[in-house]
Amino acid sequence: MIECKNVLKKYRRHTALEDFHCSIQENTITGVIGRNGAGKSTFMKLVAGYLKKSQGEVVVMGENPFTSLKVSANTIMIDDNMSLPISLTLGELLQSFALFYPNWNDSLANELMAYFKLSPKMYVQNLSKGMRSTFHAIIGFAARCPLTIYDEPTTGMDSAVRKDFYRALLKDYLAFPRTILLSSHHLEEIENLLEDVLIIHNQKAFMHLSISELKESVVAVKGSKVEVDRFVSMHEKLDYNETIPGTVMAVVKVSQYVHRENFPQLTFINLTANEAFIYLTDSQEGGIDRVFERNELV
Amino acid sequence: MKFYEESDLPIYVQLAEWLENEILREQFKADEKMYSQYQLADLFTINPATAGKSLTILLDNDILYKKRGLGMFVTSEARNVILSKRKNEKLTTLVNGIVDEAARLEVPFDELIDMLKRAKAKNEGGINRD
Repeated sequence: MIECKNVLKKYRRHTALEDFHCSIQENTITGVIGRNGAGKSTFMKLVAGYLKKSQGEVVVMGENPFTSLKVSANTIMIDDNMSLPISLTLGELLQSFALFYPNWNDSLANELMAYFKLSPKMYVQNLSKGMRSTFHAIIGFAARCPLTIYDEPTTGMDSAVRKDFYRALLKDYLAFPRTILLSSHHLEEIENLLEDVLIIHNQKAFMHLSISELKESVVAVKGSKVEVDRFVSMHEKLDYNETIPGTVMAVVKVSQYVHRENFPQLTFINLTANEAFIYLTDSQEGGIDRVFERNELV
Repeated sequence: MKFYEESDLPIYVQLAEWLENEILREQFKADEKMYSQYQLADLFTINPATAGKSLTILLDNDILYKKRGLGMFVTSEARNVILSKRKNEKLTTLVNGIVDEAARLEVPFDELIDMLKRAKAKNEGGINRD
């Protein structure tokens, strides 16, 4: 469905994506995750055809999304910055979307509007942040586009609405399978929905794997310094803390599954997928504490 | 059922265990139709591919069999397979733990056997009293 090869995207002198490769299968739900400014939105906008790549190859449904009507008609991208005319009511907006998207499901749109207590007579500029996000999400569900892209769709939604949104996303996917890209800063909320995660880090596609593979690729251990050091030396070190002299807690990236029973002297600590992701993408060793330590010395 | 995100077991393994428990509870009997991956996805709000993985585990262990175009069904030996599998995995781990701890505490093997016998006697006594 989506193929990216060696993609470069520059905004003037600033590089947003470089040496970017990925391949996304049809009818999967893929989570796009990354720290702020990693390049998530740039990637999604390139796929949707909103932006023109600087170099490389972006192929969606066999065509270049930037110049393809086919991609445009079969793709919808939902984000905070959807520019909707302020002179139309929500009801009128939905009607205009129905004209453009052939799979548009009008009754679904109306029922979701009623469920989330959005009146068709309201105007976009009068909605709260969360309600506006909800309205955007409804457009995404009702459009039933073969490629649906949600860029942080839950901004501003309260936790009850977020939960409903995820449930609705899955229900709708089961009824009408399609390719979904979903970015969020709340990996713990979406991980069960996802088939794969695409981690974008430092402007590159850093990893593309399943949630269970993500969890298995990061291992946290605790134990005596000698034993932990021996274990750490075999893998890529991500974090290292000697909290009590002689006792060390370390986090490492492993290339293949670690059988815990082979290391009886070490205590293994279970990490959530979100923690694994944070360790993988933490560039500053020592984290925020290091900044303050340096400042106190001055 | 609630999934434990902190668990070192992936969701699909936890779900496979839950399905096995449902078979042990006889919610599904031999030759009855199992939930489809889409029903499971809906039930637990998980990706259908994850639910599919759980069903594949049971299929590989001969707990389920496939009928073309109809879905997956419980095999006649499903209960026995699950029981013997659980016995081998869980009980073996527990016994290994006991042997390790006994060695650490320098408990002679004969004494360990006596302790097991006493535990069994106590257990049976308890059952008789009930």
